[in-house]
Amino acid sequence: MKYKDELIRSMEWLAEKDDTTFIGQSVAYSGNAIYNTLKTIDIDKRIEVPVFEETQMGMCTGMAMNGIVPICCFPRFDFILRCMDALVNHLDKMQHMTEGTFKPKVIMRTSIGSTNPLDGGIQHTQDYTDPIMRMLHEVNVVSLNEPEQIFPEFEEAYNTDCSTLLIEWGDYYNEK
Amino acid sequence: MDKQYLIDFETEVKERYEAGEIKAPVHLSSNNEDALIEIFGAHIDEDDWVFCSWRNHYHALLHGIPRDTLMDMIVRGKSMSVYSDKPKFYSSSIVGGILPIALGTAMSIKMKEEKNKVWCFIGDMTFETGLFYETYKYARNFELPLEFVVEDNNLSTNTPVDETWGGKQTVPADVYHYEYKSDYPHHGTGNWVLF
Repeated sequence: MKYKDELIRSMEWLAEKDDTTFIGQSVAYSGNAIYNTLKTIDIDKRIEVPVFEETQMGMCTGMAMNGIVPICCFPRFDFILRCMDALVNHLDKMQHMTEGTFKPKVIMRTSIGSTNPLDGGIQHTQDYTDPIMRMLHEVNVVSLNEPEQIFPEFEEAYNTDCSTLLIEWGDYYNEK
Repeated sequence: MDKQYLIDFETEVKERYEAGEIKAPVHLSSNNEDALIEIFGAHIDEDDWVFCSWRNHYHALLHGIPRDTLMDMIVRGKSMSVYSDKPKFYSSSIVGGILPIALGTAMSIKMKEEKNKVWCFIGDMTFETGLFYETYKYARNFELPLEFVVEDNNLSTNTPVDETWGGKQTVPADVYHYEYKSDYPHHGTGNWVLF
């Protein structure tokens, strides 16, 4: 299967779980590549939110503390910089701070913006994988480079007892 | 649990901190005992979630964290991040950090059709931030079971809130609010400690 098809397959598998919900900007309304991987998901499983990345990230953490598994979607990696406090200081530190009592499981999706055939520009195409891996200690960071990785990585993200940030490549939606 | 019980607890923390027994910051409360006893006693159920800041000892005791458990945490350096799953309690040392987390927990309660509530205690500097307004607006518009309590000492560390903002916003009628002036400094006890 191709890159985008593997993403769709993974989302459909996650959607079968009773405890998952998909949350973010353009999860229920079109506007970015990630939306095209969620179109087959029941609309009741999708929560479109305002553009408030920090609040969105914190919300997902709070939902996860009470047993929901949010699939927290940020259309571009660049936008995750808007939620660094909620991600780095809170979600990523919670197991340490609570000595393992709270282990919020948030599955985060983001995408490095495509440059071909359209170049999204310097604010929409950055790859922050290396610095974010160095900042995060409790959150797994996975770069989705090949189609065959995708489904097993989302399976692992759901089955583990911590949070995972899965980084997609916008260009691969068409190339691979 | 009465006012003196809370004061005595905080006094013991003070003494153990000054003895060099606690090798991490402590943020002590005083002069807000009556307000908190009223809020917890009249409004907060044992199954509710409570989200707090770094100044949280009174809240933890009033929500049901056992005295010895709390004191042990504080002595181990966990004063700024007191937590519990039963009763449900979480605190953070970053201004505003608990707001969206509390919002998400409230949202999950609504999604799961649970009957409890979330209580979010914030200082007046946090109340003035944009993060509060995002959280408050979303919670009210979607009728989420989230209550806010603004604990107003007009200080953030030693920074005066009204002076730095050039004024303060009016607290909405559906947000609990009380004012107090603590006898303790922002952190520590005001006395020199040799660790």
